[in-house]
Amino acid sequence: MHVIQLYFRLIQISLLSRMQYRANFIAGILGLIVWNVINLGLIGIMVTQFTSLKDWTLWELVFLYCLWILGHSLYSLFFSHTRQLENYLIEGTFDQFLLRPASPLIQLLGRELEYIEIADMFIGLTGISLAYAQLGLHWDVWKWSFFIIAIISGTIIVLAINLLIACSAFWTGRSRGTFIIVSPFYSLVHQYPVDIFGNAFRIIVSSLLPVAFMNYYPALVLLDKVDHASSGWWLSYMSPVVALILLGIVSGVWRLALRQYTSSGS
Amino acid sequence: MKLFWAFARQHFHATALYRVDFWLRVASTPILMYGTRWVWITLYTQRPGAFGVSLQQMVTYAVLSMAIENLFYTGPQYYMAQQARSGAIDADLLKPLDFHFHMLARSTGEMLFRIIVIALPAMLVGYFLFDLQLPATLQTGFLFVVAILLGYLVNFHLEFLLGSVALVTLEIHSIDWAFHATARFFSGQFVPLWLFPGVLGLLANILPFRSTFSTPLSIYTGVVTGGAVTEAIGFQMLWLILLFIISRWLWERVQARIVLQGG
Repeated sequence: MHVIQLYFRLIQISLLSRMQYRANFIAGILGLIVWNVINLGLIGIMVTQFTSLKDWTLWELVFLYCLWILGHSLYSLFFSHTRQLENYLIEGTFDQFLLRPASPLIQLLGRELEYIEIADMFIGLTGISLAYAQLGLHWDVWKWSFFIIAIISGTIIVLAINLLIACSAFWTGRSRGTFIIVSPFYSLVHQYPVDIFGNAFRIIVSSLLPVAFMNYYPALVLLDKVDHASSGWWLSYMSPVVALILLGIVSGVWRLALRQYTSSGS
Repeated sequence: MKLFWAFARQHFHATALYRVDFWLRVASTPILMYGTRWVWITLYTQRPGAFGVSLQQMVTYAVLSMAIENLFYTGPQYYMAQQARSGAIDADLLKPLDFHFHMLARSTGEMLFRIIVIALPAMLVGYFLFDLQLPATLQTGFLFVVAILLGYLVNFHLEFLLGSVALVTLEIHSIDWAFHATARFFSGQFVPLWLFPGVLGLLANILPFRSTFSTPLSIYTGVVTGGAVTEAIGFQMLWLILLFIISRWLWERVQARIVLQGG
């Protein structure tokens, strides 16, 4: 309980310090909304001219895009600064975490709140609602629960993967390079259903870098697109399992990293 | 002119020294090429030869657009905003080169660096792995290069105008956001402009943004041929002249209003 209290106290402090710049807040939110509307607009133009993308219609693609955003927005709202870990390590900020009488992980996670990402959540919810209406979906209780679980799993998956990459800085000193390399995978999976790509890509984003579990696989379930005749149909339900496995891996790696950590000195 | 190239060369070397990230971005470009190529292959199975453009032309357009992605946005506006905020802009104004041309030299150095380090290797990768076709004739290739350079100049002036505004407002990020979002949409970088319906298509054809991606790529792939090529390049030149005049005019006014901060 103490840990959670501490986390929210840290978040509160960071929020107060950020709220001093209100104009930036509003401009940032508008910027994010415009950016996403333009992205969706481009997909929209493409799909309407060609009627669909394989068997994905326009609103199904909007659903896919927004399901990613919902999972990702929770991550970027609370945890996006985990990418900064390498800087904390290099600048010695991390040593401060170790000196204070609280878990270093909580201090890292509670360091910032990207409140601008509220805009992402708004876009995600709007997009999903529109798609739900346009596609004439009628979910039962089971599907609604799966929807909620899928979003939380998505958040955990992207947090765990990014934290793992950030942790690599404990050994190599730098993690930014890896983030640059994985970002095109993120943007492709975010915008397009992975079944249009080749097998190599599908295998990578379903195993080594399992971001397809953030939107593609749960969307198959939620949009009734699971093909039960195919051999990999069960993958569609695996998001929560993948999230749990990643959570296990990342906590192990984090502990290992702390044990062998030596300060950058000076 | 000699001075111009001295500044360009200097920035070329400065860029080459500090940009590890850029080398990594070279590594991520092939993944995007791979992705967009599949998107178009998938779309074309539903409607082969859509809008009179073959799949081969479309794939070349998309893959090449990824290769030249980083050429245009050299970002003089960030430099200008940063110099204004720190007060260091007074040193820039004292330099023996007109500020506008100094910025152009900086950006040109940056762009040449990006051509050599990013675009050319990425084009080779596109050629060997992702069906990037060579231009039909040597002349087409030459016109493509001309269109790229004009596109770069048009975009530079748009960015310089943003930077000039930033010198007065001392805030760059939100206007820059709006600029990039608009450019992303109307440049034809991701979705070629011939797919744009009605009013959107009309707007895309009037705005200067198509100079960067749409015009050079359409020339390269042979979607635009014959007299239309001259027309497209003429359109770029027209915007360039217009933006050049506006830039000079605005800069004269901004220069008089620059407030030096700090001490």
